[in-house]
Amino acid sequence: MIEAVGLTKRYGAKTAVDGVSFTVQPGKVTGFLGPNGAGKSTTMRMVVGLDRPSAGSVTVNGKHYAQHRAPLQEVGTLLDAKAVHTGRSAQNHLLAMAATHGIGKARVREVIEMTGLEGVARKRVGGFSLGMGQRLGIAAALLGDPQTLILDEPVNGLDPEGVLWVRNLVRYLAGQGRTVFLSSHLMSEMALTADHIIVVGRGRVIADAPVGDIVARATGTTVRVRSPQAAELEAAVRAAGVTVASPELGVLEITGSTAPAIGEAAARAGVVLHELTPLNGSLEDAYMQLTAQDVEFHSHAPLGGPAPAGQAAHPASPKGATAPLNEGALR
Amino acid sequence: MTTLASPAPAAATRPRAAVKPVTLTRVVASEWIKFRTIRSTFWTLPVTALLMIGLAVLYAWGATTVGPEEMGAVDGASVITSGWYFAQLAVSVLAILTISGEYSTGMIRSTLAAVPKRLPALWAKAAVLAVVVAVVSVIAVALAWVAVLPFADQLDLSLDLGDPSTLRMVAGAPLYLATIAVFAFAIGALMRHSAGALAVVLGLLLVIENVFALIPLRFFELVSPFLPSTAGTRLLLTDETLDSMNRVEDAVQLSAWQGYGVLVVWTVVLLVLAAVLLRRRDA
Repeated sequence: MIEAVGLTKRYGAKTAVDGVSFTVQPGKVTGFLGPNGAGKSTTMRMVVGLDRPSAGSVTVNGKHYAQHRAPLQEVGTLLDAKAVHTGRSAQNHLLAMAATHGIGKARVREVIEMTGLEGVARKRVGGFSLGMGQRLGIAAALLGDPQTLILDEPVNGLDPEGVLWVRNLVRYLAGQGRTVFLSSHLMSEMALTADHIIVVGRGRVIADAPVGDIVARATGTTVRVRSPQAAELEAAVRAAGVTVASPELGVLEITGSTAPAIGEAAARAGVVLHELTPLNGSLEDAYMQLTAQDVEFHSHAPLGGPAPAGQAAHPASPKGATAPLNEGALR
Repeated sequence: MTTLASPAPAAATRPRAAVKPVTLTRVVASEWIKFRTIRSTFWTLPVTALLMIGLAVLYAWGATTVGPEEMGAVDGASVITSGWYFAQLAVSVLAILTISGEYSTGMIRSTLAAVPKRLPALWAKAAVLAVVVAVVSVIAVALAWVAVLPFADQLDLSLDLGDPSTLRMVAGAPLYLATIAVFAFAIGALMRHSAGALAVVLGLLLVIENVFALIPLRFFELVSPFLPSTAGTRLLLTDETLDSMNRVEDAVQLSAWQGYGVLVVWTVVLLVLAAVLLRRRDA
């Protein structure tokens, strides 16, 4: 269990993490999402005491990380696949880490086998690919058989097989009642892996809810309806909060209502329906919608040319844009 | 990439992996593994030993070609410790790299995640470094004596460890090198960048100390004896040399051990400063 209260990190005038509070529960995979520069890595580094918070505090299993007598048994961390001396072999790196906690050679062999590093364990880390570096980072995180795992972008650079392996591993560990806190840029991967999602943007928590809720509430549910009497149907379902779009003739996409409600309204109005399909939004859509105003580094359309200075970030007040969600059921 | 084992087996089948609390002894064990598993840095040690032995042999050989009239009496302890000047450069580079290498590669984050109280990692690194440098220097000095034995008769060399002055010089070389290594290590820990720390330490040892010693102005005459290496190497001077230095009018009076004490003070102050900053700074 990880508990952050008012966690804040300032670098000079810039606030990287701004009063973030959240709880990461055991027995679940909690995803940590946000655009580049949103403060994900800084937050994770503060959890394990590598960065000192400017304000607020964070505890793991009830104590500050540094106060645990055997920290590697409490938390396994992959913060940065390149947090390894390039001149040392993978095996010696793990043996040195293990020695601080009196962890035996057998356990080192075990994590090497688990992460599929047998073939390169005696090679210098400097020659490792990004994927092998990630595996070594995960091996190091697993060394102390920790109750809590913090993994920053664990699938970054892994091949599809490695991605699947990480997904199964974290699901398995969470299934054993462990706490898993995972950040990723791969939205589709997060949708498959995480039970719960915390979204941050520009140093603040934008959403903190189960994956299903995030998707449903951020995108709303859209229902596609096909009818030869589209105009009558549109009039029948018109209500506050309902928007209707017509992507092609005879097809309506209705947002803000539900399939049963639309079906009943159609029956009352005597409208014939050829199709009535609820469309699920994706986590990616939800994420884009949530973070639209909180992206630190906007990319621009290739034809648009370079943006004028100062226009890069936040054209509108980010708070205003996300306020409905913040005050809604998500928080 | 080889196929991956399914996560199910060892990941956490019930008997959990045996994990013990972090202690200073365990951190020292970890730092010793780290120290000996970086080939490039580890090799500086045999190089240091070879430098010390080689210079002792050259010194002795040179002395035989000059002849006793010009050379005067040759002191055995001086001969076998004559390589200290180059050896200090080699151990300083090694010392700086043991800490700055962790910063440049990002390893420091793994180190501090395993030892979040941080200071044990600093003490353990310094201790491993000091002990290893001392042991290697003792071996080098012993081998240097063996290596100059062929010239012993000709130069009338002797080495009587029962003589306090000889013992001080012979033990002083390992002691000085171990201390100057920790001094350089502290600067590496403060600066965290290999190039910057190397520039400071080598600049001090090769340039500043020598320049200060040469300038005949009162300020430099007063400061120079208290510079780390100038003070610390008093341990390696014969009683006669020390006496003649301390007899100079208005000169700073320091005994061999007082001089070494000055180096120790420099080292302790810098190491404490490094410790304070290590606790404060983000890794």
